Amino acid sequence: MSEFDWQLREAGGRLVGEPRGRVDEATWERFSETLVAAVRQAAATGAELVVDLSGLDYMSSRGLRVLTIAKREAGEAVPISLAAPNPQMREILQISRYDKLFTVVDSVDAAS
Amino acid sequence: MRVRFWGTRGSLPVAQQAGAIQAKIAKALVAASGRAFADEAQATAFAAANLDFATFGAYGGATSCVEIEGGDGAFVICDMGSGLREFGLDAFRRIGLGHSRDYHFFLSHLHWDHIMGFPFFGPAFDGGATITIHSGHPDAETALRRQQDEISFPVPFDWLRAKFTFVTHTPGETFQAAGLTVSLATQHHSHDSYGWRFEDAAGKTVIYSTDSEHKLDNMESEKAFETFFRGADLAICDTMYSLGDTVSLKQDWGHSSNVVAVDLCRAAGARRLALFHHEPAYADEDIQRMHAETIRYEELVRADRPPLEVICAYDGLEVEV
Repeated sequence: MSEFDWQLREAGGRLVGEPRGRVDEATWERFSETLVAAVRQAAATGAELVVDLSGLDYMSSRGLRVLTIAKREAGEAVPISLAAPNPQMREILQISRYDKLFTVVDSVDAAS
Repeated sequence: MRVRFWGTRGSLPVAQQAGAIQAKIAKALVAASGRAFADEAQATAFAAANLDFATFGAYGGATSCVEIEGGDGAFVICDMGSGLREFGLDAFRRIGLGHSRDYHFFLSHLHWDHIMGFPFFGPAFDGGATITIHSGHPDAETALRRQQDEISFPVPFDWLRAKFTFVTHTPGETFQAAGLTVSLATQHHSHDSYGWRFEDAAGKTVIYSTDSEHKLDNMESEKAFETFFRGADLAICDTMYSLGDTVSLKQDWGHSSNVVAVDLCRAAGARRLALFHHEPAYADEDIQRMHAETIRYEELVRADRPPLEVICAYDGLEVEV
């Protein structure tokens, strides 16, 4: 059974979303709802959004496409960066070429 | 069932230039590292054991054409890309050995790269051949006749000697053809395309799904494809671009990615995925890298589910199903 959890916190004027578990065909809808809501909250407050991937085991193509939906929702108003992917997530971002579409940084603190 | 790939390249036929062949030879010589071989058989054995496919082989450059064996003995062919010419020559060889002269074609769609082999399909001139063309498009005959018109080709359709029948099918319909149970599904592509599902009497199932974009904002439609792909022994899928490309620069170009194909097959419980419709700009090393990355992606997202075997189609590949 796939498991997924999501927390949102403020840190240094930024919003930090923390998905945990897996994002796949069983959990992508929750990830979509929570991430898009976070984008809207960030837009309302003028904050940047950092998605802290450190608690994520992996993300399938459905989750990756949710990232694109969120980026389109964000437009120019909300910069989104992906932080602290584990080695598996880093490989998935590279294989899907999503590392060309998003800023990927080593830690939440490194996200500007 | 046996699946034979006659053309696996997307959009446009390509041919290797001298520089690509020279690079392969140079790599092979370096790998041989001064060894001496008594004859070509010995050298071939060394190369097969020590060189990767991009060096010792080639993915080929003919456009979409895939043959399926395992029905009632008629030829079954998906699409008429430039690989069809080579298939036609081999069909004559097999007819000489007693093979049936009945052909059943299943067209994904009518874009040029999927029908361009038809004017060079020798059996179309065989007065003893019967050729049934199955399509989801009612304008399939128009597309093939127009391609033979003098402005494009010197031999008009009406000069062809085979007995032709065009059959238009409705998505969702299941029918019998060439001893196989066949159904089709509409896919997202300019002027639509159709995926085909073939089942033999033993229940072995092959999916042919090319030129099919799985839209970012319509993930619900993937559930229908999961049903269409359900339990497939082999799913031949359009994996022309990376996922990143399909959601950015190449959005709405009507093609899909390796990672979406893996996820679809996995959700459908398919056993084997064949990467297909390769980007014409890719060199052999690029396709080989994409294949290795796809195998790795499947491992990364497999979790506790059974593995999905990922193979990479190339011109001349035969797969037992």
